[in-house]
Amino acid sequence: MSQQRRLTGPKKYVAVVLAVLFILLIWQAAAWSLPDFLMPGIPTVLERMQAAVQEAQFREGLLGSMSRLGSGYSFALLFGIGFGLVGGVLFFFREILRSAIVILQSIPSIAWVPLFLIVMGFGNLPIIVVVALAAFFPMALSVMNATESVQPVHVSAARVMGASRWQLLRRVYLPAVMPELITGAQLAFGNAWRALISAEMLIGFGQGLGRSLAYSGEIADMTGVMMNILVIAILATLIDQVVLEKFKQRVLRYQYV
Amino acid sequence: MQLRFEEVGKHFGQLEVIKGFSGEFAQGELVALVGPSGCGKSTLLHLVAGLEKPSAGKVLADGRPISGPHPSRTLVFQEHALYPWLSLQANVAMALELQGVSRQEAFELAQGWLERVNLKGFEDYYPHQVSGGMRQRTALARAFIAKPEVLLLDEPFGALDALTRMALQDVLRELIEEHQPTVLLVTHDVDEALYLADHVLVFSARPAKVLQTFNFTHCEKSHDLSEFAAERREILRLLGIKTEVAHP
Ligand SMILES: Nc1ncnc2c1ncn2[C@@H]1O[C@H](COP(=O)(O)OP(=O)(O)OP(=O)(O)O)[C@@H](O)[C@H]1O
Ligand SMILES: [Mg+2]
Repeated sequence: MSQQRRLTGPKKYVAVVLAVLFILLIWQAAAWSLPDFLMPGIPTVLERMQAAVQEAQFREGLLGSMSRLGSGYSFALLFGIGFGLVGGVLFFFREILRSAIVILQSIPSIAWVPLFLIVMGFGNLPIIVVVALAAFFPMALSVMNATESVQPVHVSAARVMGASRWQLLRRVYLPAVMPELITGAQLAFGNAWRALISAEMLIGFGQGLGRSLAYSGEIADMTGVMMNILVIAILATLIDQVVLEKFKQRVLRYQYV
Repeated sequence: MQLRFEEVGKHFGQLEVIKGFSGEFAQGELVALVGPSGCGKSTLLHLVAGLEKPSAGKVLADGRPISGPHPSRTLVFQEHALYPWLSLQANVAMALELQGVSRQEAFELAQGWLERVNLKGFEDYYPHQVSGGMRQRTALARAFIAKPEVLLLDEPFGALDALTRMALQDVLRELIEEHQPTVLLVTHDVDEALYLADHVLVFSARPAKVLQTFNFTHCEKSHDLSEFAAERREILRLLGIKTEVAHP
């Protein structure tokens, strides 16, 4: 596991910086070649962002978005891991769960919005449920697949040492599936984030990121649109690449030594 | 713990692996099982460990049928069965933690056991960072820490070089003499069987039946096994290996 399969250290950072520069370059090139009211340049948008961050309303909206994301995502993690582990061990249940997920996953999570809106009413709840649903499927699937392929000798060894069923789950299955669990969590985060922004744009509840983006579009405020997009990209990258990556390196420390 | 097999049979679907195996092993005896690959030796150990159930007959430990795994009967696996996500010390400690011993106490005892198998200083290493012999010693420490009454060893030193193997055989012998468990040792190495065992059971190809039993109770042994040359030749012959130079 210590093979040099992945880039580490400074090289990796250089690659990331280059990618960011490349995206910014395309943006700025578009800004130069289009009129300002269609495509604002980077400096204009950054200025707007600085101003927005100081507005209480924008910060509250942001907080609202993050709490909806947090509730929906943690719900999905909890249930995804639970169902995935149980599904991996009980194989009849596994087939039911897998078939159900395959069917349900084919429905874009945003398609549930009209239904949830009517059943649950206008508010936080339908957005949270859509986020949870979007994140649950990849989470449960990856944990379940990983649980299925846990090495039998690892399970037998624990049984020989007298492990109970609960200890087997907690001390063998869970750590054994941890690498796939984290990959699944990252995948689930991507889904959750996309579902959050689209649901907020569609439902228009609260002053969250999605709502703020949709509103800027409605009043043709392109600087506002680009600013919201930029915030969405920065936040997602920070959560995924910094928080989840750090968590991964910490939990999977044994793979990195 | 005394072990008793009564007409034990085991099949997986159509495949008959063990047929009518009977035998009785007293507390503290070391029994070596040798036989062709795939004949069912590992399966026999799994029956005693309680990981598999016999299809026919009974396996009794101290007169009671074995119904499932129990920490008093522990198995050292043929393949690597250490947990890659745990340090060596945590691997050894886990055997105790699963029995309700507190983490701190388990870790302290585990440290002592790692010292016993000459792994002092490697407590915090992960299994992939140490050699095969060191992993096997960790597996032995993990088995011994629970003070089992029955110790099942499935080719514990199979993948090691001859020198490491002999050194580990000595470690094993010391540990066994100290704790006196009943040991079933599966091995492909006839010399290992001769060196360690009180009884050597030679099995036929599948379905496994005992071809012959050799007894060495109360023999003083060293790694120089020349006095057992006759038995050695006989065991090899039973296993289908030529021991004489063919004369034209
Ligand atoms: N869980 C199982 N399901 C089906 N077949 C099995 C199972 N376990 C073992 N077998 C079969 O039983 C036979 C004996 O296997 P076993 O592992 O006991 O052999 P062995 O004597 O230990 O061989 P080796 O010396 O190569 O380790 C093999 O043919 C194997 O395919
Ligand atoms: Mg075997």
